[in-house]
Amino acid sequence: MAQPRHWTLVLVLGFCLAIAATFFFGYRAGRTARHYRWQDESIQPWMSVPFVAHTHHTRSELLFQAIRVPPNPRDHRPIREIARAEKLPVAELIRELHKAIENANPPGPGIVPPSGKAP
Amino acid sequence: MLDQLLAALTQYGYPALFVVVAIAAIGVPVPVTLLLIVTGSLAAQGAIGLWLAIAIATVASVSGDQIGFAVGRWGGKKLVAKFSWLLGDAEHIKKLDAKARSWGGAGVFFSRWLVTPLGPWINLASGAADYSWLRFTLWDVLGELFGAALFIWLGHVFSDRVQQVGAIFGDLTWAILAVLVAAFLGWKLFFGRHPQ
Repeated sequence: MAQPRHWTLVLVLGFCLAIAATFFFGYRAGRTARHYRWQDESIQPWMSVPFVAHTHHTRSELLFQAIRVPPNPRDHRPIREIARAEKLPVAELIRELHKAIENANPPGPGIVPPSGKAP
Repeated sequence: MLDQLLAALTQYGYPALFVVVAIAAIGVPVPVTLLLIVTGSLAAQGAIGLWLAIAIATVASVSGDQIGFAVGRWGGKKLVAKFSWLLGDAEHIKKLDAKARSWGGAGVFFSRWLVTPLGPWINLASGAADYSWLRFTLWDVLGELFGAALFIWLGHVFSDRVQQVGAIFGDLTWAILAVLVAAFLGWKLFFGRHPQ
């Protein structure tokens, strides 16, 4: 049975889009996987201080002290809520956490990432 | 919204996990893979128990799937068409009627964890297509248990890189879905018969 021209066009277009989407998402997944070792987990407002301490291999007490909150490993409040309670902008709290992490884990000579640029 | 859901999961643990996974299974677009990976990381940190988290995620997702199946079955095709705007158009769900029967258990199983965006569609379509409830539930429990265990375990192993692992799996899911669509359209294009 002959296919109507517009139907074939729709199928070809959909087929090409699906192929493009496969490459796009496949490439993105591959790129993230390739940079896996060189990218630190970014600190997000939804994370709790113990969560940030775990992802950055730091002690949570150190981070609590850096943001002037009594250290408590059972304090699972998100950073956003701590910022609200302390009447501070979230970005400032995250900056202070970054600073504390950098002080606790000074960057070493490290390994060159796949792009050839420093992390 | 994702931010709020992740914050709730971090702060409240199990109850938040149950609610979020259940609503995702019903069909609300929530990146449940990332949520399960974060759950695994929380388990690695000792904030929640690994096995209990897997059990709760499985029960929650099966509950949500059952609601979707019941809406498809008891609500009938009219109701499915009415609520299908959440997931897409009613025409697509009609097409899935036939697919649900032909894919059977494999369709239910793989849409639980490999091509998760299709999960809520398959639930509705399976119910509307009068697919056996017992068979649906069996494959559903197996698929959800496997999916919950897989993603929570991944989060447990890569607990310090949850966002990156979540991003990789999110992209891989869409890539697999795109491959399936390309295969289906390619087959239609080269071997299928089409309406005049």
